Amino acid sequence: MGFTAKAQVYKAAIQETVLGAGEKALTLGGARTQPLCAFDEAWKNAPAVGVEVSDIPFETAGLPALAAWYEGCGSFGDRVKKAAEMEGAKFICLHFEGADPGGENKSVEEIVALAKEAAAATDLPLVIAGCKNVEKDQALFSAVSDALPDRNPLFLSAREEDYKTIGAACAMANGHKVGAESAVDINLAKQLNVLMTQLGVPAAGIVMNLGSAAAGYGFEYVASTMDRVKAAALEQNDTMLQMPVITPVALETWSVKESIMSEADMPEWGSQEERAIEMEIVTASACLTSGSDAVILRHPESVKTIAAMIAALA
Amino acid sequence: MGLFDVVFHGSDEMYALAETAVKETLEKIGEDAPVAFGSTAYYLACIKAYTGLEVTNMAQLRDALTPIRAMMTRNRRTADIFHSGIATVMAAEVIEACKYAVNPLPYGENENPNDNKYHGHMTDAEVRELGVPLVTRDIPGFVVLIDEAPTDEQAVALIKGYQSRGIFVFLLGGIIDQAMRKGVKMGFPVRVVPVGPDIIGVSHIISLVVRAAFIFGNIQPNDYVNMNRYTMDRIFAFVNAFSPVSDMTVACGAGAIAEGFPVITNEVKDMDWRVPKSLVINTDVDTWIDCSLEARGIKLKVTNIDVPVAVSSAFEGEIIRKGDMQLEADGSRKDCLELVRTKDVREIEDHKITLVGKDIDEFGVGEKICMATIVEVGGAKMQPDFEPVMERKIHSFVNCLEGIMHTGQRDLIRIRVSKAAFEAGFRMKHFGELLYAKIKNEYEAVVDKCQVTIYTEPEKVHELRIEANKIYDARDDRVSKLSDESVDVFYTCILCQSFSPSHVCIVTPERLGLCGAVSWMDAKATNQLDPNGPCQIVPKERVVDEEIGIWEDVNEAVQTYSHGALEQVSLYSIMQDPMTSCGCFECICGIEPFSNGVVIVNREHTGVTPVGMTFSELASMTGGGVQTPGFMGHGRHFIPSKKFMKAEGGLQRIVWMPKALKESVAEKLNANAKELYGIENFTDMIADETIVEGDPEALVAFLTEKGHPALGLEPMM
Repeated sequence: MGFTAKAQVYKAAIQETVLGAGEKALTLGGARTQPLCAFDEAWKNAPAVGVEVSDIPFETAGLPALAAWYEGCGSFGDRVKKAAEMEGAKFICLHFEGADPGGENKSVEEIVALAKEAAAATDLPLVIAGCKNVEKDQALFSAVSDALPDRNPLFLSAREEDYKTIGAACAMANGHKVGAESAVDINLAKQLNVLMTQLGVPAAGIVMNLGSAAAGYGFEYVASTMDRVKAAALEQNDTMLQMPVITPVALETWSVKESIMSEADMPEWGSQEERAIEMEIVTASACLTSGSDAVILRHPESVKTIAAMIAALA
Repeated sequence: MGLFDVVFHGSDEMYALAETAVKETLEKIGEDAPVAFGSTAYYLACIKAYTGLEVTNMAQLRDALTPIRAMMTRNRRTADIFHSGIATVMAAEVIEACKYAVNPLPYGENENPNDNKYHGHMTDAEVRELGVPLVTRDIPGFVVLIDEAPTDEQAVALIKGYQSRGIFVFLLGGIIDQAMRKGVKMGFPVRVVPVGPDIIGVSHIISLVVRAAFIFGNIQPNDYVNMNRYTMDRIFAFVNAFSPVSDMTVACGAGAIAEGFPVITNEVKDMDWRVPKSLVINTDVDTWIDCSLEARGIKLKVTNIDVPVAVSSAFEGEIIRKGDMQLEADGSRKDCLELVRTKDVREIEDHKITLVGKDIDEFGVGEKICMATIVEVGGAKMQPDFEPVMERKIHSFVNCLEGIMHTGQRDLIRIRVSKAAFEAGFRMKHFGELLYAKIKNEYEAVVDKCQVTIYTEPEKVHELRIEANKIYDARDDRVSKLSDESVDVFYTCILCQSFSPSHVCIVTPERLGLCGAVSWMDAKATNQLDPNGPCQIVPKERVVDEEIGIWEDVNEAVQTYSHGALEQVSLYSIMQDPMTSCGCFECICGIEPFSNGVVIVNREHTGVTPVGMTFSELASMTGGGVQTPGFMGHGRHFIPSKKFMKAEGGLQRIVWMPKALKESVAEKLNANAKELYGIENFTDMIADETIVEGDPEALVAFLTEKGHPALGLEPMM
């Protein structure tokens, strides 16, 4: 007797959320199947790969290919433009590390100017990542949202401490998208979505950043959380967990030892750049398998590989 | 003249002014002349909000008068007052628009309106600047102060009073001159904005309100009902109008009330129409702040705690030794107590701290003193059931003070104040300050007002102690009378899902959470205080089997909150779908097959049980949110409950417990065993580690000797 495949299509679906505007606008979500199971039902929207660009140029010692990619780029705008050329890049993540009061402490005005420069350099959708300082991120996101009214960016992230200001200033006042950040906990993720919608942020304006970990650094918690979020969304039609998931993979993997130890220090580990790329690829593919609708990566090689993987599974 | 006539007259007056203004302006600049307030995408926002019209030139402004007039209905119903009130504000906006059409800077030559005497129109950027903190409630609300206060001092006291509470202040009319005479700093950045010289300027404030509703609430133009619902629900504004109040002001006030903004005034003439919390007549201007905040339902967050020592959980475990001690309140030697009481809100003066008796500096060093702390709270949603929940938190609140040690509760407390804290200036009133701030913040949802009284006068404390003991007894009585049958709802608790993702506790009066920390009362309070939190209501309407403890509602809740991992739970059985366990249970019970009974072991007991396993070995059988028939984690206080494995015969199945655990539950266990089975001193029949450890045969021998009832019961498996 032959094997008869039975398609597992749920009645509920992941919510669709549009990032960006114009021709390059990107829709996340829409799936009615388990992650990546295109054989159960063709994808409405493919998972998307975005490229991280920081206002502080990346450290490229030991990373010749990354250095080569951005060679000759003088300004932030140049780097954004170059990032947008990566094969498979569907959106750009502007990571404003330099705003951190504990670091370069760039002013909100400086960041706004950089955001505008980036917006002029690419028409891909923009995802704005802050500096992790709650006070600064609130001011920063509000100002950038006001400065890019027509670009429909996504702001990463609103947390329990600052969701009100970011929700009100970015999503409610300007109709932009907000990433609800929780730390690998399904209940907190849901609670934040409930609180944001009660504040008045439309559910369709919310994307979830459920938190991540580099592969090998407690990723099983991430996988189990995402599994349960998807199960609640699809099997139980829990509308407060049906938001698409975005995972800033690069922000995790580029700080672990596999990615930063130089080859000189660890000759037995081989090429640093290869290791760093592999960390990104392994983590990103695991995130996509667990249910991420979008991942953010740094290296052109990882972007290309993950985009190719997605294309092959479609 | 009654209030209806005043409103109608006032709105007629404003309309006539608007008509004249339009006529004169048309003559001056013609009907094609543009009309705009500048820096707004919402045209004349009040008119757009309530008529849908987008006015851009004088001809359109003239035409807008017709729908405004049409809204001024005169049927002597409340709705007519409201409609006329809103239309009066629109008429005022027409007048202001005429001013701006002639001169884009009608209130002074400075481009920055904060440099002019009157601010006038507010830009969309300013709406957003104020709107974001209003939405997030970082600014708890705003007040519109209209006309001249009885004295300059009262004007300033009100403005500063609101300012210090974080309330945004708008000024109209004579009070602006009063503020200027007193040198009050004004402008958008300091959150005190002088809007205009008379009531007509109110249109700029309502313009801000409706634009906030457009921007943050996505309210559509010409949607009267939803606009007013949004402003009522989301914009925490109110009006303070000083006597004499003009008819036009009363008419605009009606518009404010239509939007949900109460009006507080000291005008008594013609105010025959009173609506609680909407139109408040209060002739004592000095009490307006509290009165207004209550009318609008605004609760303030207490941000700084006024004590001379640090407050942090870092000091929670701090021990004060005798030598370092300034004084102590020792409940074992002297009369001491703590009590939280609910009181009528009107009888509480918020933030009142009173000391009756001597202060710390009046006692000798090292003295043992009498001390009673009485916290009185009130609020629309406060329930006496929350009193013990708050009272129990006093311990952790006070312990967070640097240099203060606190143990115990009720009349068995001990508080030590260190010499260092005393030298830093710590006095009795600071206990009050701390408790006030903590209770207001932590229990914001239910506590509107809070006052604290501290007694150190020995006779008074003695009297209070007798009184308090009656209250404690009454509470205990109520809790002990609560049964699963006597309540309408149970609660979920998913506090520990962060590490045990599919575990759900169902908390009932007779079965507390397995961690031992969440009783039904706690869960109820948690639910009220944080409606989106870990404790959710589970109705118990669709009973399947009350004997075993099965309800359809409970099963649905378990399915939902375990995210599908669990299908059903029997609350009173350890064999059939027992409740799951996370990892933090106080005790675990497991079947002992030789005796037909169960053994119970608490976390602290490290020895082996008669089933041959230790606590941690037993725990590994059932943790992590899985159902393992025959094994179950539970709270200590569940042991003597009449619902303890009721489906399998109940308490009489207990054959072994560690001695310490047995002693801690003995009183209630014996009482319930007597009531249920007529057995005296049931705990004497239960073996412990001093009688038998790992040997089941020795256990059966002991039970046989004692005539333990479990031996005669049907086997569980």
